[in-house]
Amino acid sequence: MSHTLQKKICLLGDFAVGKTSLVRRFVEGRFDDRYLSTIGVKISRRALTRPYGTLNFLVWDLAGGENYESHSSYLAGVAGALIVCDLTRRVTMAALQRYTSQLRAVNPKTVCVYLGNKADVLDRQIPEADLQMLCANFLGGPYLLTSARTGENVEAAFTLLAEQIEQA
Amino acid sequence: MRELELELEALQRQAEARLANLQAELDRARVADGLAAERLEALQTEVDELRRVVNDYEGLIQKLRPAISELLAHAIHNSRDEMAEALGPVMGEAIRVQIRDSRQDMVEALYPIIGETVQKAIGEFTREFQRNIDARLKSAFRPANALDAVEARLHGVSTAELTLRDAIPFTLNELFVIQHGSGLLLAHYSQSGQSASDSDLISGMLTAIRDFVRDSFGKEQTELEEVDYGEQNILLEHGRAAYVAAVITGVEPLGFRARLRRFISDLHVKHEAQLRAYNGDPASLPALQPKLVRLGEEFAPSAPSAPKPLSRAQRNVLVVGMAGLLLCMGLTLFYGYFTFKLWPVAFQPPSATPTITLTPTHPQPLSFTSTATHTPTSTATPTATFTPTPPNTPTASLPPSHTPTSLAAVAFGNVWAREAPDFEAPQVVAIAIDTPLTVRAAFGEWVQVEWQTPEGARLGWVPVRWVTFQAPVPPALITPTP
Repeated sequence: MSHTLQKKICLLGDFAVGKTSLVRRFVEGRFDDRYLSTIGVKISRRALTRPYGTLNFLVWDLAGGENYESHSSYLAGVAGALIVCDLTRRVTMAALQRYTSQLRAVNPKTVCVYLGNKADVLDRQIPEADLQMLCANFLGGPYLLTSARTGENVEAAFTLLAEQIEQA
Repeated sequence: MRELELELEALQRQAEARLANLQAELDRARVADGLAAERLEALQTEVDELRRVVNDYEGLIQKLRPAISELLAHAIHNSRDEMAEALGPVMGEAIRVQIRDSRQDMVEALYPIIGETVQKAIGEFTREFQRNIDARLKSAFRPANALDAVEARLHGVSTAELTLRDAIPFTLNELFVIQHGSGLLLAHYSQSGQSASDSDLISGMLTAIRDFVRDSFGKEQTELEEVDYGEQNILLEHGRAAYVAAVITGVEPLGFRARLRRFISDLHVKHEAQLRAYNGDPASLPALQPKLVRLGEEFAPSAPSAPKPLSRAQRNVLVVGMAGLLLCMGLTLFYGYFTFKLWPVAFQPPSATPTITLTPTHPQPLSFTSTATHTPTSTATPTATFTPTPPNTPTASLPPSHTPTSLAAVAFGNVWAREAPDFEAPQVVAIAIDTPLTVRAAFGEWVQVEWQTPEGARLGWVPVRWVTFQAPVPPALITPTP
């Protein structure tokens, strides 16, 4: 018998790391390189087909760089989060820890998947040392290098988050 | 338009100039170089064609139209301000002309703008009116709708105002039950019966708006209660684990918010733990949908139902009822008629009934004897309210007398003399007991008596039972009429 679940997930990260682009690619299947800063929050929905039935993701795309402690209501009831950094800006990687802490302060058991976005901009030949350095930023959690522009690993990122939520 | 005309004229001038050049070239060719006949003929054809084009005004406009449109678009894009300044004065005049010549077209063109503005203004007015009445009613708790009218009256709201408020159009479009923290949709009801595909997104956005307002402006204990969107209002009633949002049009009826509050409160009393623990799996939820549907149907507009024909049993009951009613009316009339007729017999006017035994003795003027078995118990004061109560029925008999014109008698008690032999006739004066009387006439149970007063002799009618005769009344005194 088909079963339908609803889950609230959110995307956190600094300004212009590509959160909205990832959501647009995931929900609408397209990419727009015009940058429009998200104000407040934008909510989208996409249904994923799972072995047990349907998983409805309600995706809360939060404004980048917010101090989520002052808007902690947005994080209430989040089943899972994609915490995004820009692979071309080292400072956005350093902020991953802060966003994780803010999320866990509201939802201690929320699962997190870390995304290094804009992978298409990087040189394909990333030195091993650099990759290890990048991975260190992902706090030992599951991570993927994605590109909203090319769609690389975007679907996989949300699927990975769904699996993490189901296993939690 | 002026610019366009100028442009057109310039183009015409250019064409004419080119035509003149060609003509000159042709002439030069003929004269100077002696061009071949074919060349001349071709040039002549070209000249003719150009002449035809220049002279064909309509055709020229058709050809130039795309260029003009592009020119206009280019001018508007590059110099908006200059275009606005150039067209501004003309626009006002153009609108006036358009209104004069095509009023209906203008109305239809402007209706979407003006209609929406007017609708919004009316909606604002209606809500303001409702708030005024609510503010006056808000100061006390209303236990039941039946008391609303009384309470409204007590608070200075007239019944007419209350009725008007109830008459304001109201539609409940949708109801949402939403989990507090996550904004996940728990149940949804739509008046149209169609499930809104975006109901889960709406519930999420409502929650985001509520969270934003609370985080940014509100205090911990305050919540967003209402969102206005065009003609629609979204009313929110909050519980600890979930809240209900009602999307309405118009002004909500009295008690609507209280009903929402009661609904969400009841949900929490019964299912708070489940509402709080909801993690997106509908199987873990109680059956909220039927409850929400019942709530929605309470405020669904009720269509007027056509009267049903009476069943056979109902018709029989109606006929029997009507017959019973007619019977009761007949009996009532019958009883009333006999009561009316028997009233004088059953309830005669109060009367003193002394038993008087008239002893026919020898006539002794100015003296009489009577052997009444009872002495009338009466006070000596003649007053208008005095009612003597002798115990026995009078048995006075009026025997014939030898006196043809008068008969000596005496008042048996204090009695009213009346102007006519009728209890309804005006009273003349009260005759004191033992007053000597002279009977002047007799009529039925009445006798006309004369007696002396300090003012002189008086004449009046008294009941015969109040008179003690010294002799039987002679027939000559008995008159057929008063």
